[in-house]
Parts: sequence; structure tokens; C-alpha cells
Amino acid sequence: MDPTIIFALIVSFYVAWNIGANDAANSIATSYGSRALTLRQLVILCAILEFLGASLFGKNVVKTIAKGIVPIEILEPHLVVYGMIAALLSAGVWITIATYMHLPISTTHSIVGAVLGFGIAAASQGHLKVEMIKWSEIFGIMLSWIISPIVGAILAFSVFLLIRYILFSKFGSKKVEGVFRYLQVFTACYVAFAHGSNDVANAVAPLAPIFGYSAAGYYEIPREILIFGGIGIAVGVATWGYRVIKMVGERITELTYTRGFSAEFATATTVLSASALGLPISTTHTLVGSVIGVGLAGGLASINLRVVYKIILSWFLTLPVAMFLSIGLYSIMVVFL
Amino acid sequence: MKFFRSVTEVFGYSPFKPLVQHAILCGRALGLLQKQFEAYRRCDFSSVERLRDEIDELESEADNIKEEIRMKLSRSLILPVDRHDLLEFLKVQDEIINNCEHVGHMLTFRKMKIKDKIMFEFDVLLAKIMECINEYEEMIAHFSSLLESSFDKKEIERAMEHVKTIEKIEHECDEIQIGLHTILFNSEDLHPLDVHLMEEWVVHLGYIANSAARAADRFRIMILGR
Repeated sequence: MDPTIIFALIVSFYVAWNIGANDAANSIATSYGSRALTLRQLVILCAILEFLGASLFGKNVVKTIAKGIVPIEILEPHLVVYGMIAALLSAGVWITIATYMHLPISTTHSIVGAVLGFGIAAASQGHLKVEMIKWSEIFGIMLSWIISPIVGAILAFSVFLLIRYILFSKFGSKKVEGVFRYLQVFTACYVAFAHGSNDVANAVAPLAPIFGYSAAGYYEIPREILIFGGIGIAVGVATWGYRVIKMVGERITELTYTRGFSAEFATATTVLSASALGLPISTTHTLVGSVIGVGLAGGLASINLRVVYKIILSWFLTLPVAMFLSIGLYSIMVVFL
Repeated sequence: MKFFRSVTEVFGYSPFKPLVQHAILCGRALGLLQKQFEAYRRCDFSSVERLRDEIDELESEADNIKEEIRMKLSRSLILPVDRHDLLEFLKVQDEIINNCEHVGHMLTFRKMKIKDKIMFEFDVLLAKIMECINEYEEMIAHFSSLLESSFDKKEIERAMEHVKTIEKIEHECDEIQIGLHTILFNSEDLHPLDVHLMEEWVVHLGYIANSAARAADRFRIMILGR
């Protein structure tokens, strides 16, 4: 195998691992916070469902990132390979820096910014016209980044309000919490599946063109790369994610079963819908929206809105950083390889 | 652990546990004050001074909690109750322990041999105030069920019953105080300075129950005014 392809596989696997270790862990940690499941049970369940979500339902988002941003079919195949490797590496580097700095960035935003960077670089070198970059799709994706946390918030708000005004007042909060303890097992699976289906693309979408997708006569996403990404995420959950689950879960003990259920259900529904539409969105940001929704419905003792500013800041940081890294790396590869 | 990204920050600082802790300190301070009166009756003035210092320590611990809540309760937090109402409630609750501290200090101002009849009346008053503070602590303990049920109507009703009881007990304290004042101001055989100091005790003991009643009222405003 070509060494550049082996390199691409390693970077892709690393990004998938990082997604599993952090984002998958964060989205499922609410179930641990409310102690509905033990850490071990949760890790196994999360790894399996992330894998299933990725391999069964990840195709649409992969399609969007692979060729919904840059019209790769009109570029020379070797340029596409360089571009996708540059994008993957840029996203990987930025995600690593952000992880060390504890920034609540989105891997989705990173890869979208990085692929866009490759498109702009290709355009600047005359391989592509600027207007050929799929701007309307890009704006659609960006709009979905703003809308998804809001949808999560509205859904979670409604779900928790229903629980509060119908179930709590009828059966008393203690009884209801007891029942929702078991429902949290379901939402934990749901959110892991949804997360896998949307976020696997952040790691493996750039591999699709490398493995011939959209080249002449090859218009299907190779299933192998989804399975590859799914394994990467599952390994991330199992080897590092458990620590993140534990840490996050221990900090959010105030999230009772009904609150955890509302937040996870809203997040998973939003993310899975986005996956069906092929929209790459951030699960973590949607989760933050959902938690705020529960808080606004009177479900939490305290919500810190400062995190919203931090997230918005991370949007404005992630896109340009990933883009310029990608422009630089791609240009270097075109010149030297 | 360094390598992680997380969104736990969305869960903000919750002032409710510290508030309960602060109320518990108020109760403990009053317990010490009762012991201090007991020591005074025995003319064990070294214990009286030791207990004053212990109450001081509790008061400064309570002050730290108060400061912590004030510092961390930033405007970027969404709380289930109004931030301003909560701070006002905390301020009044803090007066309970402040008044315990005042009385604790005043017990060390002058060494007297108090007649059993008067001391008995003080014991009655202290027991009544203790009843008031116990009721107050029970009310504060409702925070957890109020939060868990997201301020369910029935839970609110249960908590509000304590407010009424506290107000009733506070009124009973007033009546005991009137009795004590009458006794003190009709004790021609006592040294005027003794009367004056004991009269100060009565007034400030009254403030303890009074602060509890006012804090309970702020609690009601905070909960019902959401």
C-alpha cells in the first residue's frame, strides 16, 4: 500500500479515537452522572452502539463532507488525495491542541473547515473556480450548527416540561425518577448510536475519495471505511473515554434520571435527524443546548451560560484555524510531492 | 488528567447546598449559646469565654460560606429562583448567626450571680428560640426535594407550612420576652447594671428568633416569586 494512504489511515484512526475518547464519552456521561449504569456497562454499551451507528447510519454525513463541500469529481484524483490528507491532518492537529487546552471545540467544525481550506487552496492554484466550491451547502451546514443546539434545547425543554407537569404532579418526583432510571439505559444507547452516525464522518469522510469514492464508476461510500471509523471510536471509548465518562459523570451528579433522560433524548433525536439529512453537526454542542433546555424548564439547580460564549468563541476559532492549516499543508504537498 | 474536552462547565455553581450548610451552622451556634448560658448559671466563666470563641469560629465559617456564595453567584448563571431574592435571603439568614455571636459576646461583659427564677425564664426563652431554629432548619432541608421535584406545588406547600410555624413560634418568643422584661424591670433588688445587661440579652435573643422569621419570609418570597 502507498505510504501516503497508510499515513491517512493512521491519522483517520487517531481522529476517530479522539472522538470516541472525548465526544462519545461526554455525550454518554450523563447516564453515568445519574448512576443509571455502572462505568463498565456504560463503556461496553457505548462502544457497541457507537460502532453500530457509525457503520449502519454514517453514510449520509460522509457523503456531505467528502463531496458536498468541494466538487472533488472535477479535480485530478492525486490532488484530491493530497487535499483530503491535508484536511484530515489539519483537523487532527487542531483537535489535539484543543483537547490539551480543554477547549469545547467541535470535531465536525474542524473537518468542515479543513476540507473547505483544501477547496480554497485548490481554487487559488487554479485547479478550481472559487464559485465551484459548494457555498450554498456550506452555509446550510453552518446554519445547522446554529440551529441544532436550539432544536436540542427546545426538545429537551418540552420533554422535561411534560415530565414535570404530567408525571411529577401526578405520581410525585421520587416515583417517576425510579422509573426513568431504566429509561436512561435506552437513551444512553440512543445517544451513542446517534453520535456514531454523525461523527464517524469527521474521521473517515476524507478517506472516501482516497479509496476511490466518486472516481469514475465508484459512487458508493465504501462500507469498510465506516466500519474502520466505528472501530476507531469504539477503541477511543474503551481506552480513554472511560476516564472522561468518569470525570464528567462525577461532576454532574445533580443530573437526575429524568433530567438525564430529557437531555440525552433531545440530543440523540436532533443528531440522528441531522445524520438522516446528511448534516454534519456537533453532538457536544447539541448536548449543551439540551442541558440548557432542561435548565430553562426548571430542571437544574444552576446552569452556567458562560459556556455558551466559550462555544461560540470556539466556532470562530476552529473554522479559520482548521482552514489555514489545511491550506498550508495542501500547498506544501502539492509543491513537494 | 490533561487530555480531554468536556462541556461540564454548563453545569454551573449551585448555591443550595452551601445555603443549607450555612443554616446548619446557625443551628449549631445557637446550641453553643444554650451551653454558654448553662455555664453562666454555674458561674463557670472560663467555659463562657471558651464557648464565645467557639461561636465566633462558627460565625466566621458561616461568613466564608456567605462570601463564597456571593462571589460565585455570577449573573451568567440560570437559577430556578431569582438571584437577587436568593442573596437577600442569604443576608437575612446570616443575621441569625450574627445575633448568636452578639449574645455570646455580651455574656462575657460582666460576671453576675443570676437568680434561679430569672435564669429559668432565660432557659424557657432559649428553648423556644431553639424550637424556632429547628423548625427553620427543617424548612431549609426542603431545598433538596424542591429542586428534585422542580418546585412541585405539593412540595412548595409542605415547605410553606414551616414558614407559618416559624412565625407562630417567633410570636411566642415575643411573649416570653415581654415576661422577662417585666421581671427584670421590676427587680428593685438588682444592680441597675445587671438589669441593663440582662435586658440587652433579652433584646438580642429576640433578634435571633426575629431573624429566623424574617429569613423564613424571604424564603417564601424567593420560592413563591419564581
